[in-house]
Amino acid sequence: MPEVLISASGLTRYYESGELRVAALDGIDLLINRGAYVVLAGRSGSGKTTLLNMLGGLDRPDSGSLVIAGQDLLAMSSAGRANFRLCHLGFVFQAYNLIRVLSARENVAYVLQLQGMDKKQRFRLADQWLAKVGLQGFENRRPDQMSGGQQQRVAVARALATEPDLVLADEPTANLDSHTGESLMGLMRQLNEERGTTFVIASHDPAVIASARTLITMQDGRIESSKTV
Amino acid sequence: MDNLSIYLKLGWRNLWLHPLRTTLTAVALGIGIAALTFLSAMDDGWMQQIKTNFALTMTGHIQIHADGFEDSRKLAQRIVDPQAMMKAIGNISGIQTMARRVRVSGLASSAGANAGAFIYGVEPEAEQRLSRLATFISAGAWLPAGDKRAAVLGDGLADRLGIGIGDKLVLMAAVPGGDIASEVFRVRGLIHSGVMDVDDMSVIVPLTTAQQWLGIGQAVTDIVIRADSFERVTPLAENLKNALSGQGMEVLRWFDIDPMAQQWADFADAYTWIVLLIVIIVVLAEVLNTMLMSMHERVREFGLMSALGVAPAQVFAMVVWETVILVFIGGLSGFTIGGGLSLWYGEYGIDLSQFAIAFSFMYMDPVIHPLLQADSILRILGASLFGAIIAGLIPAWKASKLEPASALREL
Repeated sequence: MPEVLISASGLTRYYESGELRVAALDGIDLLINRGAYVVLAGRSGSGKTTLLNMLGGLDRPDSGSLVIAGQDLLAMSSAGRANFRLCHLGFVFQAYNLIRVLSARENVAYVLQLQGMDKKQRFRLADQWLAKVGLQGFENRRPDQMSGGQQQRVAVARALATEPDLVLADEPTANLDSHTGESLMGLMRQLNEERGTTFVIASHDPAVIASARTLITMQDGRIESSKTV
Repeated sequence: MDNLSIYLKLGWRNLWLHPLRTTLTAVALGIGIAALTFLSAMDDGWMQQIKTNFALTMTGHIQIHADGFEDSRKLAQRIVDPQAMMKAIGNISGIQTMARRVRVSGLASSAGANAGAFIYGVEPEAEQRLSRLATFISAGAWLPAGDKRAAVLGDGLADRLGIGIGDKLVLMAAVPGGDIASEVFRVRGLIHSGVMDVDDMSVIVPLTTAQQWLGIGQAVTDIVIRADSFERVTPLAENLKNALSGQGMEVLRWFDIDPMAQQWADFADAYTWIVLLIVIIVVLAEVLNTMLMSMHERVREFGLMSALGVAPAQVFAMVVWETVILVFIGGLSGFTIGGGLSLWYGEYGIDLSQFAIAFSFMYMDPVIHPLLQADSILRILGASLFGAIIAGLIPAWKASKLEPASALREL
């Protein structure tokens, strides 16, 4: 019996603009098992990023419940959610993923430092992860000295270095050429298969959608369909 | 410590993302703090001069009188047995030296002129250890030992009386019974101290002659004390009051004796606080703007950090540390420049001789020597740090309160 990692029920989030009230999420129910490789598909404004933000504890729903890795995310304070993210989650965003004043090694090591790992160990681990994502020799480069694809790889290395329960990726290939995008998705899929890390990826890139093992399609803040590929 | 190292690393590198902005802010801060350090040193320098000149030219650090003498200035209020009193207080810690004086107001007359005068009967030997009067001799000599008719007077008073070294001087003053008594002296020396009260009004004669002339036996009006340091004056005065309790004596510190000196001391304190307030305002104005700009440019980065698991309190601390680093850079350069100028001018002085007459009213020397004092430096340092933290609190609070999801939408 697979273990449930994410359990969401009735997640609703409204955004208000003047007198206009729009449901970005409209009663989302969701169960995702540990080790899943899920792609959230849908057009812009369908609610993919909002759902991803909810799952990452970056935003709070107006109503509903959300339990990840057995912990009620909505009952936590903002400091508690930050600590939860540090211990359980990894993030890869569309762009500007890295802290620009830190080198590739320091970016990866930063989260390990926040977890309390000593300097020697975290730098060794950071170098190992950079090597795993094909960035051996780039350890001392700062973000502005790397291409978009290389930066995304550093972000993946950082997301995985803490061995999180869940990696959330929001349009990770949006700013990459198709070859680099495919390479990145191949890497993420490989890590999912080898290490059993759970991935939830929001994208409308056909190549990303094609890599899904579970494809959830969203429209107008609702789940339109969910299927195992 | 590990957390501090990352705060310092991020703070330092973030500041140098905009080297021109950081440099301009640091330079402006540096100039401000340099100027304020120098001003503070000037203030400490001339306050030290005022205190020293006031206390050591004539007044002493502490005076003991019969109760009420300072207000009445009448010989009826006198210390009848000063030697017994000096023996009784001689072992109190903090006294460097002390001497007896008789002080009366009277009339000084020469063959051709009269003038009001402050007449002091002093112990010629002891007075040289107590005050600087003997060092101000501009013509002739200090009261010669054994010359009972010798007088030393201010050069301004001598000019008014039209007399010089070797000339005869007649002094008249009221004795305890109310009669007027006079005595003849011979001018042996002139003094020029730069202090108007001394130069234009004072006549100094031997104590024993003054006691005989005024008919007060062994009595004196003042026991004047020089303390080990200015810092010991107040505790020493308290100890003296306790020791003389019930004997009908008043114990006055140098700033109790002259309200102007007290006001100068109060003004110096107020000036110090004004300087500190300016330090805080300078730091706030310079740094707050820079840090707010920096914070607004990095909203997405703060969102990213929050997503990575950096707690709001850590974001807060990071921004505050960045502010402290910026102030440290500016402050260090400012202290170096301001401190260097203060030390240089402290050694060589700032010559303001063209204002010498105005300065003499305030017991100031025409050459100012700025004085770098540890407590003043620490106060400016503390004010800079306080300003930095206050300036950092607003952007730090804003950064720590950012909603990660909305911050991540910023570009």
